[in-house]
Amino acid sequence: MSGRYIARKLVQALVTIVAIVLLNFVLFRMMPGSPERASKNPHLTPEIVAANRVKWGLDKPLIPDQLINYVESTAAGDLGYSIKYRGQPVVEVVVDAAGPTVLLIGLGEAVAIVVGLWLGARSGWRRGGTIDRVGNALSLVFYSMPYFVIGMPLIIVFAAGLGWFPTSGMTTPGGNKTPVEAIVDLGRHLVLPLTAVALGLIGAYSILMRSSIVETRSEDYITTARAKGLPDARILRSHAFPNALLPMVTLIAINLGYVVAGAITAEIVFNWPGLGTLTVQALDARDYPLLQAIFLLIAVSVVIANFGADLVYGYLDPRVRA
Amino acid sequence: MSVGTGVAGTDRATGRAPGSLVRAGGFSRRLLGRTDGLVGIVILLVFGLLALAPTLFVGPLENLTTTSGIPLQAPTAAHPFGTDELGRDMLNLTVHGARISMTIGLMATVITILIGSLVGIVAGFVGGAADTLLMRLSDFFLVLPTIVLALILAPIILDVIGSRAQLLGIRSTLLVIVIVIGLTSWATTARVIRSQVLSLKERMFVDRARVIGSGGGWIMRRHILPNVMNLIVAQAVLTFATAVFTETTLAFIGLGDPSAPSWGQTLNSAQAAGAPGLGAWWYIVPPAAAVVLVVMAFTLLGNALDDVLNPKALSRR
Amino acid sequence: MRLPQPHIRMRSIGALLLAFSVLLPAVPASAAEGDGGVVLTVGTTQDLDASNPFNTELVVGYEVFQLTYNLLTEFDKDAHAAPGFSDTWERADDRVTFHIRDGMKWSDGEAATSKDVCYTWGLALAAIADEASIGSGYLDPGLSDAGVTKIECPDDSTFVAYTTDQSDRIFQIYMPILPEHIYGEMDYKKISEEKFDAPLVGTGPYTLAEWQTGQFARFVRNENFWGNQGFADEVVLRFFADNTDVMVQALKSGELDYAHNVNADQFKQLATDPTFTTVEGKANGWSQLAFNTYGTGTGKTIEDGGPSTKALLDPAFRDALGYAVDHDALVERVLGGFGDPGTTIVPPVLGDWHVEPDKPRTFDIELAKQKLDAAGYVLDGDGKRLDKEGKTISLALAHPNTNDTYAKSAQFVKEWYAELGIDVSVQSYDSDTLTDMILPPEADGKAKYDIELWGWSGSPDPNGLTIVFKCDQIGNLSDSQYCNPKYDELYDKQSAESGDARHATLAEMQNLIYDEAPYDILYYDSNLDVYRNDRFAGWQNMPANGTPFFTYGILDYTLLRDATAEPSDSPAAATQSASAGQSAAPAAPDPGSASSSGQTPTLLLAVLAVAVVVVVGGFLWNRRRTSTAGEDE
Repeated sequence: MSGRYIARKLVQALVTIVAIVLLNFVLFRMMPGSPERASKNPHLTPEIVAANRVKWGLDKPLIPDQLINYVESTAAGDLGYSIKYRGQPVVEVVVDAAGPTVLLIGLGEAVAIVVGLWLGARSGWRRGGTIDRVGNALSLVFYSMPYFVIGMPLIIVFAAGLGWFPTSGMTTPGGNKTPVEAIVDLGRHLVLPLTAVALGLIGAYSILMRSSIVETRSEDYITTARAKGLPDARILRSHAFPNALLPMVTLIAINLGYVVAGAITAEIVFNWPGLGTLTVQALDARDYPLLQAIFLLIAVSVVIANFGADLVYGYLDPRVRA
Repeated sequence: MSVGTGVAGTDRATGRAPGSLVRAGGFSRRLLGRTDGLVGIVILLVFGLLALAPTLFVGPLENLTTTSGIPLQAPTAAHPFGTDELGRDMLNLTVHGARISMTIGLMATVITILIGSLVGIVAGFVGGAADTLLMRLSDFFLVLPTIVLALILAPIILDVIGSRAQLLGIRSTLLVIVIVIGLTSWATTARVIRSQVLSLKERMFVDRARVIGSGGGWIMRRHILPNVMNLIVAQAVLTFATAVFTETTLAFIGLGDPSAPSWGQTLNSAQAAGAPGLGAWWYIVPPAAAVVLVVMAFTLLGNALDDVLNPKALSRR
Repeated sequence: MRLPQPHIRMRSIGALLLAFSVLLPAVPASAAEGDGGVVLTVGTTQDLDASNPFNTELVVGYEVFQLTYNLLTEFDKDAHAAPGFSDTWERADDRVTFHIRDGMKWSDGEAATSKDVCYTWGLALAAIADEASIGSGYLDPGLSDAGVTKIECPDDSTFVAYTTDQSDRIFQIYMPILPEHIYGEMDYKKISEEKFDAPLVGTGPYTLAEWQTGQFARFVRNENFWGNQGFADEVVLRFFADNTDVMVQALKSGELDYAHNVNADQFKQLATDPTFTTVEGKANGWSQLAFNTYGTGTGKTIEDGGPSTKALLDPAFRDALGYAVDHDALVERVLGGFGDPGTTIVPPVLGDWHVEPDKPRTFDIELAKQKLDAAGYVLDGDGKRLDKEGKTISLALAHPNTNDTYAKSAQFVKEWYAELGIDVSVQSYDSDTLTDMILPPEADGKAKYDIELWGWSGSPDPNGLTIVFKCDQIGNLSDSQYCNPKYDELYDKQSAESGDARHATLAEMQNLIYDEAPYDILYYDSNLDVYRNDRFAGWQNMPANGTPFFTYGILDYTLLRDATAEPSDSPAAATQSASAGQSAAPAAPDPGSASSSGQTPTLLLAVLAVAVVVVVGGFLWNRRRTSTAGEDE
């Protein structure tokens, strides 16, 4: 993978990030509900409002002063203060919530990728087989189900019904757990949400992988390999799968952004203390600084994930080099 | 989950002969001959009918002041799908929900397809700087997280169109969802269409037309457009599935309109009323099943259309 | 041609899963027991917004600082004044002298004296003197409301507050006494911005030890607490932001001991289960339709704002509308029967102060139509009602998105008014935006709304709620922009009265507002709380028609006892605790991971983990085997 390729992709990523920051700025200023009233004081006098305007730099012209102000503070990591969590720096609130989401989504993606890609490859290779039919049908069903539709029955049956798992949350609050107990506790809380997220994703990956394999299967070199008499299974594993995987890499990376956002509903249903739940609470309270920070974080993560995917793609696909 | 194009959406110019409009007779036979095509069409017809004329099937949308059902009652003869916490008939709500959910889906799809096709065709055909610019733009939109963006755009758009706006009986809060879905989904369509246009460009007849001296716009309209129509149709169907899915998610999160019971909104009400914990499965299953069926059907149909109209892989079976 | 091998990615993912799953089975199967002591877990649908007592605007926030700190005087089980930071007091014509408890210590061991009260109340007086407020300004007005003009600390055990107001309001001041030895350097402006990071030092029964934003707040026992030590060693408040479903499930599964604000259907279902006790607490407050009457008497208008029709300024119009709302139906359908139909501005829960209106309205759509016609609001050819300027009346109704009941009531109102030919467009907003929206030009706002559907919650004294209609509250608390000098007169009069005289004046006020109808009070909604019987006993409703928690004072936390140690108190305890999956041992049941069910989930987990490992391992092994059989290209 050539340096030029890396440099090119890096520049693209950076440009996108800058564009996102600018978009964020524009959106923030367009929000109805003036930032001055961020301190919810019913005894707000005109003097206090004016003082707030100065404090927030809102008396200066939009461009360039406010813009520069904004970019500077964003770069310095100061994204303002939360309205809902009165006075807490937004960055703190968001960072606290990011960990649980990464845990849930990360594991969910891992499981879904392993199972989904395998299932899709299997299905696509031997079209019409039982695995194909059943797998495809199930994948389609799960693909069509929003996470909360998968999650609710899980809770009803396994948590509220059988009592095997906690109904909600990520940990049992309580001060004194040993590290081992803490992991077990986390694990127990993780099972159901993880299952819901994984099932939803498996559906998507399996379907996409399937069509990718179907495409690849009809390529010339595969026909050649079969003509040469190589066993089917090996062709699938050594030739078709890796090549079908290439477009999947890009899709998986793009999907990360949608997944984090889409998993909002999974987090709601399980009251999982991640970015998803935080987003909904911020929405309810119209806590724009918080919403913005979440948006920024997710968008930038997706850009970085895409960049990573580009690197991986570049490494894997000889055609892309230089 | 909006990566559901069903097509391995890379932008490699495949260089293979794209399917031109298959003749009508052969088309329907091939489409309906496939299980997925058949299932898709049947479900589409059923829900389409329900959506177009809900009043015909279940009467007008139940009013709060006129319902007489017992709150949260399990299904009975009088109320085959049970009632919600205000005593409204779930069957009535679900069928009317079809109209709302699918109208939103349709409107969002129209916006997505219009923008996506336009961008895709222009980018693919004109090429060069315009192409790069448009593709960078679409990349940018692809990167933005739909749902969070929706939550941020919603109050802004609401401010712009005002809270009393209405279109096809859909109020502003829901119009916001339409606009947001449109804004965030066009990019995928654009890429797919552009891919197709790129390969079309290679075709001889386009060059011939150029030689004669026809203008770019004319070529795009008369030659390119009819040949990507298949793809557009397939894309539209798939986009519809995604749009319904996204609307359900956004309404469930709380972005919907409580007075317009789309399926997502009904699920939101169910959650708020504590239906899962109370075991009121009838409050959840009908709208959930409806969403799943519709999304599934349209995905199946979209894939089937894609296969039938663009028999790339088909020819090598 | 050689093709690249992307196996690496699969392998590393497999390794990850392998590593993770190995951890799980290695864990002992029995769950934790006895580490944190006895934990009382309380669930609420509000999400704590701030740990700084001056910045919180939510009931849950009040619960937090009441647990950690003391008020000068607390509340007994009838919501009357009880000893708090001070244990006795004496009233004179111009002052009240409080004796500060001897030997009282802060949770960090420092002595608690009158200095702390002088500091804390001093903050409020300073803010009042500057015509400013501390934080959100919810707490300090209590002092001016009680007429406190000056305070003094002659010695460490004595605190004197000067006021000529003879009412009980001085004992209802909601100022948590802060430790002067920690915050003494801060003035009221600084304290407004202070973070109040846990752990906090207080004189209350349980001090805040940990706050996980959006999740829970944890309190530990204050060993130095002067009052009764409750059975619980720790108290955990869990937030289920507007998610009653998840909260009730947690209650049922044993993760919660108490759930605050469940909905009517959940309440009814839980009432049939002997494991739980359900409590309907009559709330001191109501939900109302507030009509925008800005400009009444003054003739002032707002450009691009204010009410959309002059009809709203006409009491006859508003009165007629009142006949189109079926208050009983709202209580039945929206509240599930838990509440009372709304009438006057002093809620029934305040006992004798409340009077029923002399000329009550009934639900009668036809009568409403007649009254509208008679008042000069006639229908046009399309069945739409016109105001006296000939314009179609179309009302914009705004309500907060914080509670389902608002949205539902709004729908009902919209349908009823539609029968009168009046179109209503409903829009929900978050609390902050709505608060801004109703502000008139006096507070830099446009007051662009016609009807505001919201609610109020009051204090034990009728002043708390009735103040809202005073002229000087426009731009402050007023959401109806109502101004009537006669009302102001009556308010000031009753403020200085007591007994029968006060009762008479209050009755006059209530009728005045009812007839003029700047508000249509929809209902007095109840709080619906539920708690388990099998772990804690000694639950006390505060006051008798209220709920144990989230009310005035936190006495109940200190009164709780161990339920399992008293078989006579809860006969179902023994059997119930087993079936609920809780350990029967009185000491330290860890919420959510009782030892009896602790075996199953971990085992299941181990099985799952092993299964995953087998599948992944098999897959990887297979591929490795085929690929090493030789690449042929």
